[in-house]
Amino acid sequence: MSIEARGLTKTFGPVSAVTDLTFRAVPGTVTGFLGPNGAGKTTTMRMMLGLVAPTSGTATIDGKRYADLARPSATVGAVLDGSGFHPAHTALRHLRIYSRMGGYSEARALRVAELTGVSAFADRATRTLSTGMRQRLNLATALLGDPHVLLLDEPGNGLDPEGIAWMRAFLRDLAAEGRTVLISSHVLGEIEQTADHVVVIRQGRLIATGPISELYGRTAVLVRSPQADRLRSHLTVPTEVLGPDTLRVHDMTTAQVATAAADRGIALHEIVPERPTLEQAFLNLTGDHR
Amino acid sequence: MIALIAAEWSRLTGTRLWLWGLLAALGSGAFTGLLALIGPENFTPPMPGLDTAEGVHVVLGLLGFTMFVPALLGTAAVTTEHRHRTITTTALFAPRRWTWLVAKLLTYTGGGLAYGLIACTVAAGALFAAAALKGVALGLPTGTVLALLARIALAMAVHTLLGAAVGAILRNQVAALVAVGAYLYMIETVLMLIPGVKAVYPYLPGGATAALTGFTYLADAIAGQTGTSATALLSAPLGAAVLLAYALIATAVAVAAPLRRDIM
Repeated sequence: MSIEARGLTKTFGPVSAVTDLTFRAVPGTVTGFLGPNGAGKTTTMRMMLGLVAPTSGTATIDGKRYADLARPSATVGAVLDGSGFHPAHTALRHLRIYSRMGGYSEARALRVAELTGVSAFADRATRTLSTGMRQRLNLATALLGDPHVLLLDEPGNGLDPEGIAWMRAFLRDLAAEGRTVLISSHVLGEIEQTADHVVVIRQGRLIATGPISELYGRTAVLVRSPQADRLRSHLTVPTEVLGPDTLRVHDMTTAQVATAAADRGIALHEIVPERPTLEQAFLNLTGDHR
Repeated sequence: MIALIAAEWSRLTGTRLWLWGLLAALGSGAFTGLLALIGPENFTPPMPGLDTAEGVHVVLGLLGFTMFVPALLGTAAVTTEHRHRTITTTALFAPRRWTWLVAKLLTYTGGGLAYGLIACTVAAGALFAAAALKGVALGLPTGTVLALLARIALAMAVHTLLGAAVGAILRNQVAALVAVGAYLYMIETVLMLIPGVKAVYPYLPGGATAALTGFTYLADAIAGQTGTSATALLSAPLGAAVLLAYALIATAVAVAAPLRRDIM
């Protein structure tokens, strides 16, 4: 079950929140949906869930609009930024209400509570829960229908490092089971170790999409050798001299550089793959360079 | 629909709102008893006693005057989803929005009926007990008193529905509570003071309720103070029909209005 946006556009009066957005998130992968705050990520996700009506274009899940799915909450689970709980309800009461709405069993509410660690605070009123606990409860609610597709809007917001690590592992496991996972974030570091694929938007428009490795841009290899000059004279790719014995070699992998050196009997003291950080690539993509 | 109503019931019973509702129902019933015990003849200004038909009407009418309480409870119950932002999750679990809007209105109308039955049962018990204690015979036959109380209970259920519907339309809890409270408690009474507008009073929810419950004292008193003739109320069945029409219109608007709204 894929998630697909096709020509998705939303305007609020004179403001364009999302413009002609087209992308896909496929099963078995975690797709990161990236963009700075206010880029239109939340509006896009809410259009995918039928909460916000698109001005034009379509957002479908498994080829259907969310409201047209036979069993929506058993197909898609969503954790949205800004969804809340009644402060007087206990965590378990919250799960039970939505378990009933979705037509799931009492046992299922207890099961998702266990799965997400909500059991530890099931009988506490939601007003007393920490941000991390609330995020777990949101995730537990989303999982009630055991959905094949998960949409998470900024799930890392307000989580401590332990919570982020837990969420990351949990989502990876869900994708490994063949589910389609779409996570939005404005912090690349949060997604870097979780997502396989990224969709980057800025000011409501798509600016990059593809495997996360492609986002890095060109890679380089840092080489230290007593015969750096000789190595350099044998290479046909662009190189930079960083010191008397240090080179930066572009457009070759570490393996290719090492083989070239071995073929000519050149000793290497150090060989390190060098790539721009993803954060830098992200800033380049979303920053104000036009 | 049954699952949605069960969920709604669980939502309601998970908070203290139902407890406040129960206390208010018991309280307003007991208040009627207290009024009966004091006796309308001891009110300021004095009114006909319990042994007259008017006296019984006044006491029961004052119970009808607490109609705004179940209406406000209905408004509070519906708007809580917007206030605590659970509306997003609700819309995700039931994307065909009319389904849960109808479930909510049905649940709270049921709650309003329970409220009315509790309030009127307590009031009936208290009224008969007060009459027995004072050693007076009520000015209306027992059957008539019970029928009037049943009508008040029904009107309370309809008012809960009206309050809930306004909540679904306005969404903002404070704004909706102020609107419902101000309308029922103040605006209708003020309208009766305006000579031209008072002609429509019988067709307003308050006027229709007064017709249904036989409470004309307010209209008569205002007529007396302004020196004009009292507006004639509709007959009880017609009042019931008007009230029912309001309930249906409010339900239709409350269900239709949120269908196309963006939930942000």
